[in-house]
Amino acid sequence: MSWIQRGWTPEEADNWSREDWIAACLSVLAYLLIAMGAALSLLAMQVGFVLLLGGIASTWLMYYVIDPKLRAISSDYERKQKEYLRRVEKLTRWEKAE
Amino acid sequence: MVQLTALDWFWIVAFLALMIACGVLFHRLARRSEADFFLAGRGLPWWLPAASIFATHTATDTPMWITGVVYQHGLRGIWYASLFPAWCAISAMITTRVFRRSLAYTQAEWQSLRYNGLGSELMRGWMAGWGIFLNMFILGWVGMAMGKVCNFVFGWPNWLGLVLFSSLCAIYVMAAGYWGVVITDFQQGVIAFAAIVLASAWGIAAAGGPRAIVSRLETMGEGWRLDPFHFSGFFSGDFPVAWFLTMLFFALAGGLGMGTTIDWYAEAQRIQSARTVRDASYSIWAGSAMVLVRNSLWTVAGLAFFVLYPGLQDAKQYEMGWFRLGFEFFPMGMAGFFFATILAIHFSTIATHLNLGALYASRDLYKHYINPAASESRLVWIGRVSSCAVLLGSFLLGLMMEEITRWLIFALWIMVAGMWLPNVLQAVWWRFNAWGYLSAWIANLGFSWLVVWILPAYQVIPELPDYLQFWVLLGLGVLVFLPVTWLTKPEDMDHLVKYYVMVRPIGWWGPVQREAERRGLLKAT
Repeated sequence: MSWIQRGWTPEEADNWSREDWIAACLSVLAYLLIAMGAALSLLAMQVGFVLLLGGIASTWLMYYVIDPKLRAISSDYERKQKEYLRRVEKLTRWEKAE
Repeated sequence: MVQLTALDWFWIVAFLALMIACGVLFHRLARRSEADFFLAGRGLPWWLPAASIFATHTATDTPMWITGVVYQHGLRGIWYASLFPAWCAISAMITTRVFRRSLAYTQAEWQSLRYNGLGSELMRGWMAGWGIFLNMFILGWVGMAMGKVCNFVFGWPNWLGLVLFSSLCAIYVMAAGYWGVVITDFQQGVIAFAAIVLASAWGIAAAGGPRAIVSRLETMGEGWRLDPFHFSGFFSGDFPVAWFLTMLFFALAGGLGMGTTIDWYAEAQRIQSARTVRDASYSIWAGSAMVLVRNSLWTVAGLAFFVLYPGLQDAKQYEMGWFRLGFEFFPMGMAGFFFATILAIHFSTIATHLNLGALYASRDLYKHYINPAASESRLVWIGRVSSCAVLLGSFLLGLMMEEITRWLIFALWIMVAGMWLPNVLQAVWWRFNAWGYLSAWIANLGFSWLVVWILPAYQVIPELPDYLQFWVLLGLGVLVFLPVTWLTKPEDMDHLVKYYVMVRPIGWWGPVQREAERRGLLKAT
């Protein structure tokens, strides 16, 4: 799947891209298939097992698409977090300290 | 009443001892700092907040509600429970990332980052007050459901189950804060899921098994109950296509927003407690996926209950269906185990909302407005006192529940219908400002009364179904908040740039992005 980017620099990963939307769509699909598939499988209906397998496949595909990007975002962001935490305290002050 | 043996009591006492012991074990971690008491030090792997989301949204009243709608609607009833969590499908990939990077403890604090000035302060105060009240309300509501279960099992008056078990849960919440909540939620989530599988399986077996449920429904002339898309018409009947499409749109597009549903507030705390952005995203996705699987189990158990006890007219009888499957069909000695799992279901929700209500009180009110220089130990102490205050408030609301429920459902509906679009816009559009948000709130209060109560009462408009009310309130709100937003100044650009660089929101942020690039804070794209 060459149209899915699997290698990300932190700067690239910070921007929203096609992969985010594909993952969001697969996420919705996985939820719908899991919900329906689980219920119909518990009633031993064949269509339920097919839907459930589709849900599991969608979940895996979502992970395949988004995980490299999430890893890149996380590795970069965690380094900045300490500084950001200090900044949040200042930004949200009710009384301006400085 | 259910007859309990010595083995049953062993299960109940062992479970209570295990949960309270957790509070003792983790109280040292909780007392280290505010971040430990409310976010477990922001260091949790994804599966702990995921289990907490599942456990929190598995409350004592949830099986009553799901069994009730499935008894009435059959398999299509699953959508009442499973469309609502669908917002997490989008949120896990989009807004969870935005919110995690904001590092805000609460939704109210996030709004201080997104907006600034007087409007921002008004919103933070209001949001914090509403958050405290809403958590008390949920605690009272869930506590009363526990009261009803205790009435069914022991014959106790409703208030006793409410007060006794919420108080026992409060012991470990006050001692161990969010550490206690999330560790016990994990245990309770595992116990609850096992019990849901076992009790549902027992019920399905008692109804003759999956194939027998299908064939008996068809023999009874109730085969339509097996169709999850058995619509009553596009606009007509009790299950119209228009309702389904509205809820689907509302849930999915709502995943782009911040604070679109009341559930966001519990999720927000779990997102911030995850150790990385990646862990936060997976925790929201996986926690809600577990909720969907749970709904499917309860749905089929509800069908089994219908086959076993068809023709019940009283909602109070069929809403207890899943509990009856457990207590009536589990073998001797397992009734206590089943009650212990009901306690697990109950405690997980109570613990979350006690800690969350206390978070608003201590972080957004006490620290923000009263004592900004408070020490970490002082904030933890305030967190414990606030947990106790939220607990006491929940008793009061729980005991008033029969009288106030109708009004509070209306209040929640105001939150959801009229504020849906502003909640999305504040996350995706740089120009939307605090005055637009506040005007939407105020206008929505008036419009909701008009559309839901007053105009239908005077027969100016017909009584509208809830999904039409949603569209009408959304449209009326737009007529107010868009002009207000355009006629007032945008938020301060300096504030917006800081927010943008840290959070990197999705949507229409072009002018802010260009300003950040001009200042050299971001590389030009």
